[in-house]
Amino acid sequence: MINVQDIRDTARDLLAKGEVRAVIGWRAGSRGMAAEPCVVTKPEEADSLVWDPTCYHNLALQLVNDRKDLVHSKKTATAPIGIVAKGCDARAIVVLLQEHYFKREDVYIIGVSCENSGVLDERKVKAQVGGFAPSAAAFDGDNFSVKTAKGDKKLAGREVMADRCLECRTPFPKENNTAFGDDKTGREFDAQFAALARFEANDEAARWEFWQRQFDRCIRCFACRSVCPMCFCDECVVDSIEMKIAPETTAEEKANRIRWIERSAVRSENATYHMTRALHLAGRCVDCGECERVCPVNIPLRLLNTKMEREAREAFGFDPGASIGGPSLVASFRDDDPGEFIR
Amino acid sequence: MSEKRTGVFVCHCGNNIAATVDVKKVAETMAQEGTVAFSKDYVYMCSDPGQSSVIEAIKEHRLDSVVVSCCSPNLHEGTFRENAERAGISGFTCEIANIREQCAWVHKDRTEATEKAIKISRSAIRRVAGNKKLDPIAVPVTRRAMVIGGGIAGIQAALDMANAGLDVVLVEKLATIGGHILQLSETFPTLDCSQCILSPKMVEVSRHPKIKLLTYSEVKEVSGSVGNFEVKILKKPTFVDAETCKLCDDCAQVCPQVVSNEHDLGLTARRAIHIPFAQAIPASYTLDEEACLGLNPIRCGKCKDVCEAGAINYDMRPETITENVGAIVVATGFDLYPQEKILEYGAGNVADVLDGLQFERLCSASGPTQGHVKRPSDRTEPKEVVFIQCVGSRDPAQHCAYCSKICCMYTAKHARLYKHHVPDGKAYVFYIDIRSGGKNYEEFVQRAMEEDETVYLRGRVSKLHRTKDGKVRVMGVDTLTGQNVEIDADMVVLALAMQPSQGTADAARTLKIGRDKDGFLAEAHPKLKPVESVTGGIYLAGCAQGPKDIPETVSQASAAASKVLALLSKPTLSHAPTIATVRNSHCTGCEMCVTACPYDAIHLENGKAVVNEVLCEGCGSCSATCLRAAISVRNTSPMQVHEMIEACLSL
Ligand SMILES: Cc1cc2nc3c(=O)[nH]c(=O)nc-3n(C[C@H](O)[C@H](O)[C@H](O)COP(=O)(O)OP(=O)(O)OC[C@H]3O[C@@H](n4cnc5c(N)ncnc54)[C@H](O)[C@@H]3O)c2cc1C
Ligand code: SF4
Ligand code: SF4
Ligand code: SF4
Ligand code: SF4
Ligand code: SF4
Repeated sequence: MINVQDIRDTARDLLAKGEVRAVIGWRAGSRGMAAEPCVVTKPEEADSLVWDPTCYHNLALQLVNDRKDLVHSKKTATAPIGIVAKGCDARAIVVLLQEHYFKREDVYIIGVSCENSGVLDERKVKAQVGGFAPSAAAFDGDNFSVKTAKGDKKLAGREVMADRCLECRTPFPKENNTAFGDDKTGREFDAQFAALARFEANDEAARWEFWQRQFDRCIRCFACRSVCPMCFCDECVVDSIEMKIAPETTAEEKANRIRWIERSAVRSENATYHMTRALHLAGRCVDCGECERVCPVNIPLRLLNTKMEREAREAFGFDPGASIGGPSLVASFRDDDPGEFIR
Repeated sequence: MSEKRTGVFVCHCGNNIAATVDVKKVAETMAQEGTVAFSKDYVYMCSDPGQSSVIEAIKEHRLDSVVVSCCSPNLHEGTFRENAERAGISGFTCEIANIREQCAWVHKDRTEATEKAIKISRSAIRRVAGNKKLDPIAVPVTRRAMVIGGGIAGIQAALDMANAGLDVVLVEKLATIGGHILQLSETFPTLDCSQCILSPKMVEVSRHPKIKLLTYSEVKEVSGSVGNFEVKILKKPTFVDAETCKLCDDCAQVCPQVVSNEHDLGLTARRAIHIPFAQAIPASYTLDEEACLGLNPIRCGKCKDVCEAGAINYDMRPETITENVGAIVVATGFDLYPQEKILEYGAGNVADVLDGLQFERLCSASGPTQGHVKRPSDRTEPKEVVFIQCVGSRDPAQHCAYCSKICCMYTAKHARLYKHHVPDGKAYVFYIDIRSGGKNYEEFVQRAMEEDETVYLRGRVSKLHRTKDGKVRVMGVDTLTGQNVEIDADMVVLALAMQPSQGTADAARTLKIGRDKDGFLAEAHPKLKPVESVTGGIYLAGCAQGPKDIPETVSQASAAASKVLALLSKPTLSHAPTIATVRNSHCTGCEMCVTACPYDAIHLENGKAVVNEVLCEGCGSCSATCLRAAISVRNTSPMQVHEMIEACLSL
C-alpha cells in the first residue's frame, strides 16, 4: 500500500531543490469523488497531491500540453518536469518518448503502482450504490469503500474496477525515476482482451449492427481525441475545416488540404472517423481507457482499440508502450513478418 | 478545373486488352470526363504510328496532360513520357492506367472488365489533373563498377567493363577467382579443357590495370543508390603475402594439419596452409585459419620457420575496405543441391555414389586421380557406371520444381568422357527426357548414344544400395519397355540440381535485392530486363540468376557489363523528381518515416523530417506510414490518392 505522503514528500523535495520545474499529479476534485489533474509548481503546494482509486486521468496528456505550451510560447524549459504516473500513464509516456515527442531527460517520472487495485468505473459504482454519486473513495487492499449520502459502503474490487484495470497486466510503471508500491506486473483479474472476446462471440451481422448503432450515436464532440495522449498532432487528419496555417503554408497547400471526411456527425463520417483513429492508434494506444471513460454517449471505444492491439500482438508480437527504443508498429518491417492475410 | 486539357489514349494491345475490354467504350466514356479534351483508341499505342498519334494529338489539341490506358507502367511509362516531352509538355504530366495486367489479363467477363478499365482510367485522369510539371534531378555519378563473385560470369563482366575503360573492383569470397569452371574437366559441346579456356582470362584479370581484385573478401554493407553506392568489404587475412610468396610449396610440406580439399570436393586432402590449385589467381598460398593449429609459433609455427621468402605473417588482421562505385554486378553463382537431401539415393552415405562435380574431378588431369577414372572406394577402374539425371530437379513435391537446364548436357558429356577414359566400360543414363536445345547440343547427345554407345534408359531410379560384393545396386524402370531394370554398377553419378549459392543468398540480403521463389536473384522483367535487378544500378549475371551453361553465362555477363557501361557513360544521371516532400507544419518528428524508408533517404533536422532527393525512390512507404499526412510523394499527393479512390468507388 502506498502512503500518499511519500509522493508529496518526493514532489516537495524535487521542487525545493529545483530538480523539476513543476510536478504533474492529481489533487482532490471539485466534482464528486473524482480526483483531477493538477500542476504543482511550489514546494508548499505538494501536500495537495492525492493518490486514490479515482485518479483516472492519464497524466501523460498533461505532458503533451506542457510540451505544446513550450513550443507555442517559444520558451525553453529550465528544468525537467515531474509527473506522477501509474502504469498506463507510464506506458503512454514510453510511446511519446518512442515517437521523440520529448526526451527522456525532460521528464522525471514518479511512478505509482496500482498494485492489486486500479481505478474505479464510476458507472459501475453508481449502479452498485443505487444511483447515488459518492463523494470519496478509498481502497483497503481488497475492497473499495465509498462515501455516499446514505453512509459508507464497501464494494468488491472486481465489481467496480474499470474494465481496463481488470485486464491490465502492467499496473507498475516500469519506466520511472523513482517508484512507490509493489510491482505486480503480470497480475490478472480478467484475461487480457476479455471484453473484446466477449464482444466477438457475437456473429458478424450482429457486430456490424452493433457498430452501426454506436456510430449513429457519436456526436463528434472529439472528447475521445482530446483526452488521448497519443492524439497529440497539432492538426488531426480527420479535421475537414481546420487547417493549421503556418507562414510557409502555400496557397496551393491550403487549397489542397485534405478533406478525408466531412464534419457532419452522420453514420458514414463517424465510422470513418473512428476507423481512421483506430488505425492511427494501432501500436500506439496503451489501453488507458480514457477515451471510453470520457465519451458522453458511452461508446465502447476500447473494443476498437484493443482489437488493433490484439491483432498487432498476435501477428507481430508487438506490445505498445513496452520499450522506448524499438521501432513503431506501422513503420517497422521484418523479413519474417507474417503475410498470409495479404491476398 | 475547366482549363485542364487531358488526352486519353486507350490501347487494344492487339487482342490482349481488346478481347476482354471494350476499348472503344472506354475511350468514349473517358471523353465525357470534365478534364478530358481528347480521347481515342488504337490497336498498338506503343507502335510507331501509335506514338506519333499521341505526339500529334498533344500538339493539335493543346493537351497539357496525358493518360495512356495500356499495359504496366513498368513497360511503357518511359516510352509515353518521352513522347510527352517530344510534344513539348513535361513527361511527368503523363500517367499510365494499367488496364492489361491489372484488368484484361485477370478477368473474363467483358462487361465487368470494361467497367473496371473505365474506373482505372478515370482514376488516372483524376490523378493526372493534380500532376505538376517537374524537372528531373541531375545526380553526379561515380564512374566505377563493382563485380561481386569471381566465377566465369564475374570475370567476363569485369574484363568487358575494364577493357571499355571503366575502373572495376572484383570481389571474390574464396582465395582465388575462377568459380566452378575450374573444377570441370572438359566442357560441352566442344570438349575443350576448362582450365585452358579460363586460365588466360584469370591471368588477364590479375594483370589488368583497371581491375582491382579483392579475393578472400565479402561485401558486408551497401548504402547509397544507383550511380553512387558505398560498399564496405571485409577482406579476410590469408597470412601469406602474395607478392613475396614464391610458390615453392615448402610450407605445405611441413604443415601437420590435414583437412579435406574443397576444390576436389573432398576426394583429396590438403594442408592448413595451401594453394587452392596450381593456377590460382592471385598466385599465392593461403593459411586456412580454422584448420591451423593456432597461428602461433608456440603451438606450431612450422610453416613460418620454413618459408625462406619470409612471406608468412601470423599478425595479419581482417581489413574493412570501403569502395565507392556507380553500379554493381552480382555474379555469385550456384551450389549443387546437397546430396544429403536425396534420401532415396543414400543421402551421400553410399560409397562410390558421386555428384557431377566430383566426377568432373575424377576425369580431370589435375584431379585426384590424374585423369584416370577410378572409383574412390578402392581405386579400381569402374567397368559399369550409371548416370542419373534430374536428381533433385523437376520434383516440386520433395526438392526443386525447376529444371536445372544443364544436367542433360553434362551427363551426356560425363558418359562420353567416361567412355574415352574406359573404352571397354559400360555407361547407362537414366533420364526423364532429354533437353538439348542449343547450338550443336543435340548432335553432342547423339554422339554420346551412337559413337560412345551410351545406353539411355528412359525412367526413374527408385532406389540404390551397396551390395556385399562392393557394387552399387541401382533399381529403376525403363518406361519405354515397361520393364524393371536392376544394374549392379561400380559407380553411380548423380546429376544434382543447381541451386543458388549460399553466397547469393548472403549478397541478396546485403544488397537488399529480391530473389525468386527458388532463391535465384530476381530480374526486373523476365523478358525485357533479364540482367537488371529490381534495384537501379544493380545487375545480375550467371547462375546466381538461374541455371545456365557457360555460353549463356558469358553472354549474360557481357550483357550486364554493357548495361553498366551505358549507365555510367555520362557524368550525371537523371533522377526522377517524383520524390517525397515534407510539410514542416505537420511533422512532429516521430521518425516513423525514417524507420519505414527502405532507402535510408530520410533523416531529422531540428525535429523535422528531411528527404535526401537523390536517395529517395518515391516509393511512398513514408507517406503511407506518416499518421500526420506530413510527408507525401510529388505527383502522388494524398489529395490525388483521395481523388483516385473516389474515382474508383464512384459508379
Ligand atoms: C557438374 C557440372 C558440369 C558442368 N559442365 C559444363 C560444361 O561442360 N559446359 C558448360 O557450358 N557448362 C557446364 N557447367 C555449368 C557451369 O559450371 C556454369 O555455367 C558456370 O560455372 C557458371 O558460372 P558463374 O560464374 O555463374 O558461377 P560460379 O562458377 O558458381 O562462380 C561464382 C563465384 O562467386 C563466388 N561467390 C559466391 N558468393 C559470393 C559472395 N557473396 N561474395 C563474393 N564472391 C562470391 C564464388 O566463390 C565463385 O567463385 C557444368 C556445371 C556442373 C555443375
Ligand atoms: S490500466 Fe493498469 S495501470 Fe492503468 S489504472 Fe488500471 S490498473 Fe492502473
Ligand atoms: S486511444 Fe483511448 S485508451 Fe488508447 S491511449 Fe488514447 S485515450 Fe488511452
Ligand atoms: S466517440 Fe464519444 S467522445 Fe468520441 S467523438 Fe464520439 S461522442 Fe465524442
Ligand atoms: S512520419 Fe510524418 S510526422 Fe513522423 S517524422 Fe516522418 S514526416 Fe514527420
Ligand atoms: S518515398 Fe519516402 S519511403 Fe520511399 S524512398 Fe522516398 S523518402 Fe523513402
